[in-house]
Formats: sequence, C-alpha cells, structure tokens
Amino acid sequence: MKVAVVVQRYGAELNGGAELHARYVAEHLARHVDVEVLTSCATDYITWKNELAPGIEMVHGVPVRRFPVSRVRDADDFGRRSELVFDERHSIASELAWLRSEGPTSPKLVSYLRRHRTAYDYCIFFSYRYYHAFHGIRVTGSRALLVPTAERDPALGLRIFQDSFRAVRAVMYNSFEERALINAVAGNEQIPGVVVGIGSEVNAQPEPSRFRQTSGIDGPTVVYVGRIDENKGCRELFEYFQRYTNVSRGLTLVLIGKAIMPIPDHPQIRHLGFVSDQEKFDAMAAADALIMPSYYESLSMVTLEAWALGRPVLANGRCDVLCGQCIRSNAGLYYESYEEFAETLHTIRANQPLREALGRNGRTYFNTHYTWPVIEQKYLDMLAQLEQEDTGNHQTTTTLPGWFARRRRDQPPARHVVDQLPTGPAVPTTGVA
Amino acid sequence: MSEFTIQADSVDVTQIMGQIRQRIREKRGADYTEQQIQELASVKLERFLDPRQVRSNLVEHYRKLESPGWLDPIEQAAPIPAPEAIAFNEESIYASSRGLMGTLLRFVRRLLNPLLRLFFNPDPIIFAMARQSEINTWTLHLLQRQTDLVERVNKQFEQVGKKFAAREDLDALNYEVLNNLVVEMTRLAVDMKNHKMRVESVAGRLDFDERRARALESVVQTRSTPPGGETDESEANGAPPSPTPTRRRRRRPRRRSGGPSAISSDGANTRADTTSSPDTGPDPQPAPPTDASSGSAGVDTAQSPGGTEPGTDTPAPEDTPSTARDHDDQ
Repeated sequence: MKVAVVVQRYGAELNGGAELHARYVAEHLARHVDVEVLTSCATDYITWKNELAPGIEMVHGVPVRRFPVSRVRDADDFGRRSELVFDERHSIASELAWLRSEGPTSPKLVSYLRRHRTAYDYCIFFSYRYYHAFHGIRVTGSRALLVPTAERDPALGLRIFQDSFRAVRAVMYNSFEERALINAVAGNEQIPGVVVGIGSEVNAQPEPSRFRQTSGIDGPTVVYVGRIDENKGCRELFEYFQRYTNVSRGLTLVLIGKAIMPIPDHPQIRHLGFVSDQEKFDAMAAADALIMPSYYESLSMVTLEAWALGRPVLANGRCDVLCGQCIRSNAGLYYESYEEFAETLHTIRANQPLREALGRNGRTYFNTHYTWPVIEQKYLDMLAQLEQEDTGNHQTTTTLPGWFARRRRDQPPARHVVDQLPTGPAVPTTGVA
Repeated sequence: MSEFTIQADSVDVTQIMGQIRQRIREKRGADYTEQQIQELASVKLERFLDPRQVRSNLVEHYRKLESPGWLDPIEQAAPIPAPEAIAFNEESIYASSRGLMGTLLRFVRRLLNPLLRLFFNPDPIIFAMARQSEINTWTLHLLQRQTDLVERVNKQFEQVGKKFAAREDLDALNYEVLNNLVVEMTRLAVDMKNHKMRVESVAGRLDFDERRARALESVVQTRSTPPGGETDESEANGAPPSPTPTRRRRRRPRRRSGGPSAISSDGANTRADTTSSPDTGPDPQPAPPTDASSGSAGVDTAQSPGGTEPGTDTPAPEDTPSTARDHDDQ
C-alpha cells in the first residue's frame, strides 16, 4: 500500500502544530506502509516564500517531494479578503479568492496529484483550510483522507470547506470536540471518522530532584509549558495566580517556554525560558500539576505529556477540548473563574490521594489512547476498513457552482456560521471513536 | 479499534467539579455572578453613605466630568515697533531738510505761496493732516494700552489654566479617595458583621460555661452537705476541721467496698454514656442549674443512669465537654 501525506510545509526543523503532526504520522506510518510526502517548498507560513529546492529529498528516511509556490502571500490582500469573507455576506468566488490569497498556492502540486493520483492508494491531507487540501481533495476524490486540525476559527464557517469535509473517504479527528464542530458545520456524520490525535514520546525516567537542584526551587510547584502569550491565556493565569498567592503562600509557578508578553515580577513566579526536553520532563514530574490556561487548543501535547508522567492537569474550562479531555480521562480539573481556579488548585494541592488518582488516570488515558502503537493502529485500521469498503458508494466531490452562481453574494459571514456551532465539551456516551 | 473508554479509578472529575462549585456557592452564600456582586456592593454603599452629604450619583458624576483641558494662552506676537509720530502744522508743507539750501527752498516756497493758492486752497489739507497726526498719536497710545491689557489677560488665563489643571488632579484624587473609602467601608462592614457574630458566639459560650459552672457548684455543694446533718469525711475520721470551713473541697469518687462488680459496672456505664454515644456532645441548651436542696437526686438520677448512689460518683452531666469530663475523672 502506498500512501501520500500531503501537507503545507514539511521539514525536520519545522515545529508548527499540524506540520509536526504530519511528520510524526508520516514517519510512524512508514514503518507499515510505503509513505511519500507531498508538500511545498515553503518554510514560512506567513509568506509561503519558496526557500527549499523543488524535487525529492529524504527526511528521516521518508521521501519528500516538494513543489514550488506560485505566489507569496500579500498580507494586505489576505487581510482585506479575510474581512470580506469572515464578516460580510460574500460569494463563493470570494472564498476561492481568499483561499488563493491565503496560500500556499501551488498549482504544480495539485496538477501532480491529478496526474498521479492512481499511484497512491490513499492521500492523507493535513489542515483543511489551505490551498493544497481543498484542491487536492477535489482531484483525488475517493482516495482522500483528511486530518482537519480544525479549531473554532472563522475559516471553519466558509462554504467551500463543507464540501471538503463531505468529499473525503475518512476524517481523522484530533478530538471529540473537533468532530462535533465539523459534523455540525458540514453534516458529514456519514463519513467514517475516528478520533486519533497524536502520539507522544515521553522520557520514562524523569528526575524531579535534578530539577530542584538545578532550579533551586524546593517547595511545591505548578508548571506551565508553552509559549507565554496572551493568546494562550497567560495573562489570566498570572492574574489568578497572584491573587491565589495572597491567600495561600508557598506555591511556585514555573514557566517554561518563550515569553512574548511581560511576566510579572513576583517571587513565586519563575520563568526558566527554553529548556531541553529532559529538563522539561523533570520540571513536570516535580510539579504538583500542569496548568493549561489556553482558551483554544485542538490537542494539547503538553497535557498529554503531563498525563504520561502521571501528573494531573488544571485546564481552562472554557476551552472545549481541554475540558472534554479532563472529563474523559478523569485526570484533570478545570476552572472558568478565579474562584474555581483557587478551589481546584487548592484541591489538587491539599488532597494527595486525589492528586495521585488523577495522575494514575492520566497515565492510563495516555497509555490507552496516545502511545504511538495505538495511533499507528488507528490509522492502519482505518486504511484497512476503507480498502474493504466499496468505493462505488462514496460520493465524490460536488462540482463548484457555475460562473454566475459562484459570484452571487449569498453566503453568510463565516464568523456568524461558527458562532452558531455548538459549544462545550463533547463527552461520548458510548465512546465510539 | 480502540475506544475512549474511561478508566475512572474511583475518581469522577465531573462530580468533583460539582462539589467544588457547590462549595464556592456556599462560600458566596448564593450563586451570584460577578455583576450581581457588584450590584450588591453598590446597594450596600448607599446604606453607609449619608445621602445629605454625598450624592448617590457622585461616582457617575465624576466619571462624566469632562476634562476642562488646558486653556490655550493667547499667543503674543512679536512686538512691532510703533511708527514714529510726525508733528504736522501749517509750516510743514514748506519745510525742507536740506540745511542751508532748505532754508532757501522754504523761502522760495513761501514766496510762491500766493501763486499756489491760485490753483487750490491748501489750508484744509494742512488742517486735515494736522488733525490726522493728532489722531495717529492718540491711536498709538490706545494700542499700547490695549497691548498691556492683553498681556494682563494672558497672565490671568495662565493662572486660571493652572487652577483648572490642579482641580483636575484633585478630582482624580477625590475619586480615588472616595473609591478607597467605599471599599474600606464595605470591608469594615463585613468585618463588623463577622465580629458581631463572633461576639454573639463567645457570649453564648460564656453563658453556657457560667450555667455549667453553677450546675457543678450546686452539685458539689449538695454532696458536701449530705442530708440529715452528716459531717464531712474528715470530721468523721476524727481529723481536725478545715481552717476554712466555707471552702468546699472536691471529693474523689469513693469506691464502695461491698460490690466491686457493681462499682466497676457503674463506672463503666457512666463513662460509656458520656463518651461513646454520638449524641453526648455538648448540649447547646444545658439544664438550668439546680439548687443544693432539690437538685442532688435529680442530677444523680439524670447523670448516672447506672444507678450510682448520690454522693458516690462525680457527676458527669451530659452537657459536659469531654475534656472537662476527663479532668474530673482523673
């Protein structure tokens, strides 16, 4: 079986969420099937400038075929088109123009897929919202699988993507919340789908004492790992934690990651900056809990790593995915206000049996669902299931409307569409994945 | 295909969160939102502030106050030198500034003056020019006075502007002070309420302790003066009487010599009744103190369900805290 992994960027040095996800999946699937990666020559997701040579190269033993991008992104043009399709009534032609403006516009990649689609049994497209996925799904038809990596952002409400969600053979979701969102917006419940996520490799021998020696932090700690950014909820975290320290002293908040916002000068807040994976795992193992204050996460790898280390998680309850994961795993608490933050943090700190039980649940949850053998098996099972199915029943991509209909301004603002989608954690009753 | 089955391990996060939220609601007293709390705080504020002294909408008033801004002082242009006033009279039209030659010219002009008058009459022109000269001088004087006035007004404007700026700072300070005052008053009110409740609690405990002390005293009093004129044990044994007969001495429980089993069972029963029962905690409403004459039998009957004889055991009323009972038992 030959499988193409189609992604907007690809490289050993790229650390973007979907790109890293695609590389991990490609490298692990390559142990079982013949994998080839199709991608662009770009490395910068803002400009999509061609920086790598077109052609074939090997990355960690996986062949990667690169295609040039025909135009770099014009930020002003993209901004104007985004405002139009997100906030105003618009036409399908406007959405297609927005997609071209967003990039990475690589007609050669799409043309290659059209000509060589029969060379691949299946094409796994990553990130629904980019040019390569939309047009690639249209030309590969029944061979297309999609890893949407969708969040609750306005692009999800665009009309053109609803066809993509319905046209693929299967969808590999990151979370139940993502599946609920896509089902609600596209009505593609009949398309085979499985909640897979991504695996993680965690050092099984972290040493908390080593972290305490190197950092000089002796008392109880909680840790945040990730970009220290207001968009990640860090401002709220700092505010809540400082209020909490007024009533309960002795707890240190350890921050790991690059800071792009000011960090309060507080004796109980310690910023360690970038650290190695070993130091990160040591710090997480030494902490009472991991705090995840982010409002928007499609799948938090750090959360999974904390659970792999047997540490409970205190998550922002307004993030549907994190809240849902805490509930499904029974391995974390969540907060939606300062009062809940203080109470949940106090509960985790004060109740050691509960803390240990949450940690055990987290480790079990991780081992059951997020180790690489499990992830690989889910992909292989899905591919085997599709092979057995009769492809004749699969509805191919609907054609785009005609010239006049495409220019009719009858599409609602995408933001309005997304605002009407259901919210809240999706807790499956039967656990069908 | 693997499914997301939940390994609960006796922990239910949803239930824990429900308990935590319930605890928060209990702490708050009700499930108020932040907005409702703010509204409640503002309502309480009106009860503390004297409406005759402080306007209820004072804060809004402060917020709506538009900043007067700085008064722009009138820019003073660079002083233009005033033109020199020219003196003009009837001789001016014949004058010349050429020295000796000028004198000659003036003479010739005067000589030809009658000839000039044949063409026109220069006298009105001379008069008008003279008057214009006077007017110019007067206007110049007025302009100078006006300039002085503008300078003075400008200075006054600057002073007023400074006053406005100071007032603006003062307004901000007043607002902050008022806000702090309100916060402190609210906090004090809450503290006062708490203290009031604590005082009530302490008063209740004190009252309870006093009644308990009186009850114990009455029991001791009753046992130290047995009915029928029995003397104290020391007196019966021939020991000298106490130097302070009015002071009563607490007596240890006396073992009965006739029935060890009965004694032990009584003692055990009493202890069990007072310590092991979950209902034997401190009674918030203790029995009223009994007096020496009538209370002894009642106390013993009530507090010694095992049938201990009066005066033989230390009474252990049900409302006695366990620490006190232990002390008595020792």
